[in-house]
Amino acid sequence: MTFNEQELVNGCKQRNRLAQKQLYDVFGGKLFAICMRYTKNRSDAEDVLQDAFIKIYENISSFRNDSPLEYWLRSVVVNTALNHLRQQKYLKDLDDIEVYENGIADREVTLGDFQMQQLMGLIQELPPGCQVIFNLYAIEGYQHNEIAQKLGISEGTSKSQYARARGILQQKLNREKRFDDGSVRNRQL
Amino acid sequence: MMDPSETDNFNNQWKKAFENASETPPPSVWEGIEARLDRDENDIIPLWWRTPKLWYAAASIIALLVVGGGFWLNNKNSGNFSGQGSVEMASKQPDVKQDSKNLNEELSDFPVADTNKNEPFIAKSQPEVEKSSDQNERVAAIERKSEKTSTPDKPILDKINSAGGERAIAKAKPIKESDLIIENKDINEGNLAAEIASVKVSALKEKEGASIADLKPQEAIAAVENEVMEINALTPMPYNELAVYMQKRYVFFKPEIVKEEKLPELKKSNEYWAGVGIMPATFNPDVQIKEAPTAFSALQNSRQKSLNGTNKAGNSFALQTQGGMRLSKHWSVEMGLSYLKGNSQYEGGGYVLDPANARSTNVLENAMVSLSDKAALNYDASSGGFGQTLANTVYIEVSKNIGNNYQYLQLPLQAGFTLNPDKKLSYSVLGGMMANFFLSNELETASGDVIRTTASDEVYRSLNWAATTGLRLNYKLATRWKASLMGSYQRAVSSGFRANQSMESHPYLYGVSWGMLYSF
Repeated sequence: MTFNEQELVNGCKQRNRLAQKQLYDVFGGKLFAICMRYTKNRSDAEDVLQDAFIKIYENISSFRNDSPLEYWLRSVVVNTALNHLRQQKYLKDLDDIEVYENGIADREVTLGDFQMQQLMGLIQELPPGCQVIFNLYAIEGYQHNEIAQKLGISEGTSKSQYARARGILQQKLNREKRFDDGSVRNRQL
Repeated sequence: MMDPSETDNFNNQWKKAFENASETPPPSVWEGIEARLDRDENDIIPLWWRTPKLWYAAASIIALLVVGGGFWLNNKNSGNFSGQGSVEMASKQPDVKQDSKNLNEELSDFPVADTNKNEPFIAKSQPEVEKSSDQNERVAAIERKSEKTSTPDKPILDKINSAGGERAIAKAKPIKESDLIIENKDINEGNLAAEIASVKVSALKEKEGASIADLKPQEAIAAVENEVMEINALTPMPYNELAVYMQKRYVFFKPEIVKEEKLPELKKSNEYWAGVGIMPATFNPDVQIKEAPTAFSALQNSRQKSLNGTNKAGNSFALQTQGGMRLSKHWSVEMGLSYLKGNSQYEGGGYVLDPANARSTNVLENAMVSLSDKAALNYDASSGGFGQTLANTVYIEVSKNIGNNYQYLQLPLQAGFTLNPDKKLSYSVLGGMMANFFLSNELETASGDVIRTTASDEVYRSLNWAATTGLRLNYKLATRWKASLMGSYQRAVSSGFRANQSMESHPYLYGVSWGMLYSF
């Protein structure tokens, strides 16, 4: 028995377990990928996903059809992840930082050369504050003033943390790229 | 400074990379979600019973049952199956006639053996068509036979198959009763009728001993008609399926059976705290002299007047430590350990003067000395003795204060009820008992002598119980720190002196303490 999106929502509102399971089956994978981006490891991501789905089922009645269901689900997951990070005190010491340029002009790297798992690993390796702000700004598409409001930090902090994240990622991507190039590797060795 | 277009390009690449990213979560995640949903739903009244749709469905099912049941009963009672059966038969007649031309061939091809494989639908035919005219009896017979679910007599069917060439067997063993099993429920009624007709004609042929050419088509049709009507009599049974539909509906709406799982008991989060404080207080020992001491009782005018002394509370203090445990949101229990320095003064009662050595003694001093041998020794040593000869003593009615200071070790045990427990400012009402362990008492005489009494002198009770109550204001300074300001009152419930003494003491105290509390 399968439901369309509207039936899924209605079924979940009526606490129909089949509908709840199907909602999880349909969106669980995508939402889990989001959780992975915001956390440091798989175990934390599982916790966030579990909490997020409980919230989704409890608050599905507040979902209006004026926006796509997936957007709403994503926003619930992101908020749950932020709460989780607050509880873990990851967002405690978010300060405005100075970003130092290394002076080396990195060549532009296209992400198409990398697999999603690699990129996920790079994001997870970012410092916690950078990780969150990079996710919110670069991938989720929030503006810095929105992020500042969401996290209770200044806009400048959001910008500087993003710049730092971007710098770290750029460096790592370049390094990965160089190591893929045999001649560069030999020279470095 | 970053180039905006470069930034956008960078961000877009990341956005695109994760736009449709998916990672399969492990099954344990859904199991966890389901367990939490089950736990939540234990407290939720199912909504389905309030759904109007369910009531519509139930009403329609009941209506269907009533109508169907009535119709079924009507059919059963009437026992008349001729209507539908006749019409159907009439429509089947041309096929039967056509088929009767090649009866022998059809008999050999008729898949009787195949029909024996399954038995969802059993029809019973009786060759003696002409003799049995009563259809109701046949229907009854069909019903009885239809209850059998086992495969009917295969030998008999085999006989029917081989009827064309073996008439002798047929004569020796006339078929009284042959069962036909039409296996496929989906077979259409036209084919069914034709097949039955062909079988029946052959059976008749066998019984009557006539050749196929001798059998008139009309007779064959008439014979088959009766048998088809028997089969048709079985068809109005689909009402049984109504129960299945009804069940399906209930299964759909039936709330899932929730396995009772013992939830792990939530660990009570007891909050403990410790505190220190200092309490300025006014302490009044409330000493009463019941009998005039020896030096005073000898004089007529001093006997009564010596008992009129009063106590004045002095400035005292207590150093307090306390520990508490929060039992529930509002209730708590507290213990502590305090050191109390209770100062007071005793006024009145007069003096007795010994003209012989110009020594005088206050009534309280004299009473204390007469209670304690050790105190008497101290007193005698310091004052050079008094009252060796009481004959010449003079009573002087002069009001003079002497210091009467106590030291106690206190162990309070109190219950507390806190208002606004989680707010910045909370109020606790406390009440309980306090064990006062007597340490020492010092009487400072007017002449500067000190009469010191300790617990070992066995004048005072070493343990004296007091009731205590108070109101405390707690102000939350930080997550774990609170400042407290508490007004308290303590009153001894028993005398501080040992029983059968000539003095009584029920100390009481008013104090305001200030302290700091630290929560764990």
